[in-house]
Amino acid sequence: MKKNFLLKGGRVIDPARGVDQIMDLGVLDGRMVDPGQVPDPEVVELGGLVVTPGFIDLHVHLRQPGNTGAETIASGTRAAAAGGFTAVVAMPNTNPAADTAGAIEYLRQTAARKGVVRVLPCGCMTKNYAGAEMAGIGGLKSAGVVALSDDGRCIQDHALMRHVVEYASSFGLPILDHCEENTLKASGVMHEGKWSVLLGMEGIPAMSEELMVARDVMLARLTGGRIHIQHVSSGGSVELIRQARAGGLPVTGEVTPHHLALTDECIKSYDTNYKMNPPLRSEADRQALIAGLVDDTLTVIATDHAPHTRTAKLVEFDNAPFGIVGLETALGVVLTKLYATGIMPLDRLVAKFTTGPAAVLGMNDYSLAPGHPADLTIFAPDQEWVVDAEKFQSLGRNTPFHGMTLRGRPRATVVGGQFVFNTLE
Amino acid sequence: MELSWNRKDLLCLYDLSAEEITFILDTAAEFKKVSERRVKKVPALRGKTVVNFFVEPSTRTRVSFELAEQRLSADIVNMAADSSSLRKGETLLDTVKNIEALQVDLIVMRHSAPGAQDFIARHVRCGVINAGDGAHSHPTQALLDLFTIREKKGSFKGLKVTILGDILHSRVARGDLWGLLKLGAEVTLCGPATLVPREFESIGVRVCHDLRSGLENADVVNLLRIQHERQTAGFFPSTGEYAKFFGLNMETVKYLKPDALIMHPGPINRDVELASALADGPQSVILEQVTNGLAVRMAVLFLVAGCVR
Amino acid sequence: MTAIKEIAGAAEVRSAIAGIARAIAADQAVTSGDGEFALVGLYKQGVPLAERIKRELEEHTSLRPVLGELDISMYRDDVGLRSALPLISETRMPFPMENARVILVDDVLSTGRTIRAALDALTDYGRPGLIRLAVLVDRCNPEYPIRADYVGLTCSEDPARKVVVEFAETDGADRIYSAEWRRTFDRRK
Repeated sequence: MKKNFLLKGGRVIDPARGVDQIMDLGVLDGRMVDPGQVPDPEVVELGGLVVTPGFIDLHVHLRQPGNTGAETIASGTRAAAAGGFTAVVAMPNTNPAADTAGAIEYLRQTAARKGVVRVLPCGCMTKNYAGAEMAGIGGLKSAGVVALSDDGRCIQDHALMRHVVEYASSFGLPILDHCEENTLKASGVMHEGKWSVLLGMEGIPAMSEELMVARDVMLARLTGGRIHIQHVSSGGSVELIRQARAGGLPVTGEVTPHHLALTDECIKSYDTNYKMNPPLRSEADRQALIAGLVDDTLTVIATDHAPHTRTAKLVEFDNAPFGIVGLETALGVVLTKLYATGIMPLDRLVAKFTTGPAAVLGMNDYSLAPGHPADLTIFAPDQEWVVDAEKFQSLGRNTPFHGMTLRGRPRATVVGGQFVFNTLE
Repeated sequence: MELSWNRKDLLCLYDLSAEEITFILDTAAEFKKVSERRVKKVPALRGKTVVNFFVEPSTRTRVSFELAEQRLSADIVNMAADSSSLRKGETLLDTVKNIEALQVDLIVMRHSAPGAQDFIARHVRCGVINAGDGAHSHPTQALLDLFTIREKKGSFKGLKVTILGDILHSRVARGDLWGLLKLGAEVTLCGPATLVPREFESIGVRVCHDLRSGLENADVVNLLRIQHERQTAGFFPSTGEYAKFFGLNMETVKYLKPDALIMHPGPINRDVELASALADGPQSVILEQVTNGLAVRMAVLFLVAGCVR
Repeated sequence: MTAIKEIAGAAEVRSAIAGIARAIAADQAVTSGDGEFALVGLYKQGVPLAERIKRELEEHTSLRPVLGELDISMYRDDVGLRSALPLISETRMPFPMENARVILVDDVLSTGRTIRAALDALTDYGRPGLIRLAVLVDRCNPEYPIRADYVGLTCSEDPARKVVVEFAETDGADRIYSAEWRRTFDRRK
């Protein structure tokens, strides 16, 4: 039986409705209602805290099936809840890959049994995300995918990519594209620049990303299909997306908290928790990403949560897998770097976690208006805390933020009217 | 304050101060004499065990280390990647932890991944000496180059040193670079643009893609070996063309100062990066580099072993 | 602060050195024979001491010893027990070691370990005809069966304290005193 709540005294930021004020909210039978309409409510005092629509992470690797030592749907969604996310888009590069209706069905059923937040399935664009043959996109749509992606790889065959974008558009599915040109990336392990040259590591030039972003922008123009650029890492990519959007093309872009916070210089410690793809780039790139976020070229902050086992990361930098966990540090990192520094106001940052990603998925009225599902994120914007990876809900400990003091921390997460994470009082 | 040495690892000259580098060179000068004596051996590392762990194969560096260890009276075990459990899927750290569990005092390690030795050194009690980590660093090679230059030229202040060749893939170039800069030399990196990235300019070295301006008035030129596989990977069209435009030969040697030193870490591709006559000529200090390598490695082993608890 | 205890002043040091020189000059086995006659000072303070003895000998006798300098760092048996390594000083043996008559010179004879290392080092340069040991101060607490042949003076200072010798040339004045060990760890462990 679901409880009914009266959420009192919180600062409600609801970007879709342009709301940013102290007000009460009512939750009845899992949906938002007028606070006066909740009979016999349990009152939750939220003085000093911020209440927003539930955060959506467009980019999460739950690792199930295939690598449940690194993460499971249960642990990954617990991590999401602890990070303030009420919904995660599950990347399909599992093993086996989520490239069939059956695989999506497995994900949905497992998520229904074990998940604590909403798991939004994403299907592959090509079979086994191998970039050779188109996946059964219609079937995936019927099975409930919200988007398509070959994340982890990039379709190099432009004609095939064109067909995928066109075909997906007939089903109204957005493409989430990992942009990377393989011959330029080659066996690179970090950003190509001053630090790769000094450290003698093979570099991944920003151009390997920018070339495919440019390709995608042209495909959006050619086909009219919706393309969302995943984990934008370079200033050049930001500029390409800025021009595309100025030209009215249906192109969006996301940026990760780590690309907003860190640069390639970190790698001089050889800590494999700084190894991810796309790689941490230069300070100029980082500044361009922030500028892109500020001027709404980039409308989404997504984590690219990529858990790996301790064993997998406890190796030479060259041999370590790409990726870091991000769900439980995303809000803290972003608020520390952008809100506490005065670069962006809270309401605009909240939009990057809520209405921004919702719009990519075609949800244009993602809000706390009465009648909407009661998915809520409650956080303390100024609370300082020290990241302790050992206390993560995620099975992954691979974070570069361990030991760092962050400002801003999730306090409670509500999905469908139920508290799935709660550190209030 | 009297200088002293207190590091249990030697990973990269980037980590060392100019004083520490000079300290090693001064120590090496004493060890060089040991090899010139009738009894070419001292008991400094008696009872110490050194493992030469070469994950990436090497002959000359390994032999040099091995002789250095023997002349210090250490007990030695050689391990190659082939004979180690890495081939059976063991992680590098597990392999090294197993070596350490045998009460080893020092590990001399070569590996193809930059930073592999830094990673290992953070996880073991024994000392770690980097014998080459990918394209990143080769500190004992850098030290032997510095030793040789100092022996011949006296001081580094204002000395013009040109490193010519495949800088991009060279741990020798990166190692030398930090040492030369810290000791006050003026460094030029020269070679085709595919092999000499401009980013090096950010640390105060001159990058140049024209042989003449790269060599002009140089006091020292250090040539790097051109590897055939770089041609296959498309960095330059042919070794013939490379030799013509970027090789040191009887004509291009004239750009250098008349008393300039010609150095090469070996093995030499005769008549590709370096004309045979020059390799054997009076300006060449290539074999002295080899001799000095032994002294420098003895010094490093001695100093590092002295700080392993 | 370190409690310093004076053991000998300038006059006593000078007469001790003169005494060593006299004893050497009186030692027939040393003063005559084939091979070089050499004074080899051990770093650090054995080196200036050897020079002083040489001067004494040249002033008062017809002996003309060659000077050598020896750093025994490479021969120590305590590698890894010290917190940091000092720079090795230059070893100079500017004479043929074969059949040489060598007098090792050190400022203080304490446990005998330094001299043991010095004997190893010396014999790696060749096969001397004879080796003697001259010290300015004998602390009379040997741990190894090593005794000096020529002793300037003896003292029975607490082994927990160190005995320091200073010379006018390098330290401003000749003197001998005892002090606490500066480092906290036990060097003999």
